[in-house]
Amino acid sequence: MKIVGVAACTVGIAHTYIAQEKMENAGKKAGHEIAIETQGTIGTENELSSQQIQEADIVIMAADVKIAGRERFEGKRIIQVPTEVAVKSPNKLIKKAEEVLKQKQAQ
Amino acid sequence: MNKLRELNLKGHLLTAISYLIPIVCGAGFLIAIGMGFGGTSMDQLVPGEFSIWDALATMGGAGLGLLPVVIATGISYSIAGKPGIAPGFIIGLTANAIGAGFIGGILGGFLSGYLAISLIKYFKVPKWAKGLMPTLIIPFFTSLIGGLIMVYIIGAPIAAFTSLLTNALESLGSSSLLMFGGVVGLLSGIDYGGPINKTVFAFVLTLQAEGINGPITALQLVNTATPIGFGLAFFIAKVFRKNIYTPVETEALKSAVPMGFINIVEGVIPIVMNDIVRCLIATAVGGAAGGAVSMVLGADATVPFGGVLMLPTMTNPWTGVAALVVNILVTGFTLALIKKHKSEEELSLDTEDNEDDEEDIDLDDIKVM
Repeated sequence: MKIVGVAACTVGIAHTYIAQEKMENAGKKAGHEIAIETQGTIGTENELSSQQIQEADIVIMAADVKIAGRERFEGKRIIQVPTEVAVKSPNKLIKKAEEVLKQKQAQ
Repeated sequence: MNKLRELNLKGHLLTAISYLIPIVCGAGFLIAIGMGFGGTSMDQLVPGEFSIWDALATMGGAGLGLLPVVIATGISYSIAGKPGIAPGFIIGLTANAIGAGFIGGILGGFLSGYLAISLIKYFKVPKWAKGLMPTLIIPFFTSLIGGLIMVYIIGAPIAAFTSLLTNALESLGSSSLLMFGGVVGLLSGIDYGGPINKTVFAFVLTLQAEGINGPITALQLVNTATPIGFGLAFFIAKVFRKNIYTPVETEALKSAVPMGFINIVEGVIPIVMNDIVRCLIATAVGGAAGGAVSMVLGADATVPFGGVLMLPTMTNPWTGVAALVVNILVTGFTLALIKKHKSEEELSLDTEDNEDDEEDIDLDDIKVM
């Protein structure tokens, strides 16, 4: 499946990027297409294109703070967790995303 | 409890703090450099009557004076979005004016944000007046109500509470300082920049905004020392012919230690995850020791971030150095001592991220929308 996401932590210099890396690695390992945007203190990097968002099956937000441009994900299935979860348990998080998507398809 | 979770008070506070930190760092360094060279922070810069150092100190002082306003605006924005910004500014400035300081700014921000968002939700206007909502109704009524509550109801008690708190902390004896520093150090080390650390950070940042620099210095010195301590443990263990890290972990250390020098503790997380209990003990013991030393000696950086860069902003930089050294040594030795020796066989196993090793996700942490 196709996953997009946003990572944003409080200070915006470390957790944000660790979360991004962990989620991307875990996503790729599980055979998904994944792109994570980072909203650090430096600003938004690796910004998601509207096409990426449109094509995505699910959105993962690993954030401790308010996310900029949240309206871009209007109508999408969104999973929101603290960055801590993405840092500590990225593989389980991706698995959870798979489950959520399955539930959605079953409905 | 669920209702409280939905309000997400902490998330709003953290959002505001994320806007605050760069301002405190920029202004903190300006005032530290300016005052270090004999400048003073002035109310007004009269042409011809100030030096460059006065100018720097004044710039920094002006920035730090804004903190209650920034925190109020940040919280209000986090709650209500763009319409929260204007009343956040006004109520934050009101908190400043009535002497309610940083704590006033925090409460004012929540007040402003929730007032604004309730107006958006419940105040219905006819179609022709839609344009008046964001331009007049929300900023005016939110500021009016929130500002008056700040001035006549919560402002004075907060100001009294703040001065009580600051007086109590300023008059702590050295044994209380030892305890306080130890606790701050312990709590800040214990989750490596995670939620506990950030909660303690919010508290000590409040104290710094009130002019008490000791606790935040202790916290950040611990954050700085922890990764360096992990690095030192590598060498101490080597002396005893003990391998405590896998090659992957050693590789992680190479970036974690330099990151530590500039106050980023998170680099050691991958190492900690592989051996949580032992790493936690070493970090906590070292952090408590470092925090205690920092508070007792009176290390007092004027900036809340920067690792070793904080040292020059202290009245006596050696106090910070002493705290760092103690913390690094204690963490390093403890870790080298209690971490298990890794045999050749274990070393050859690549410790790739494995799902089975991961912590279960707390379902309360997940929100699906």
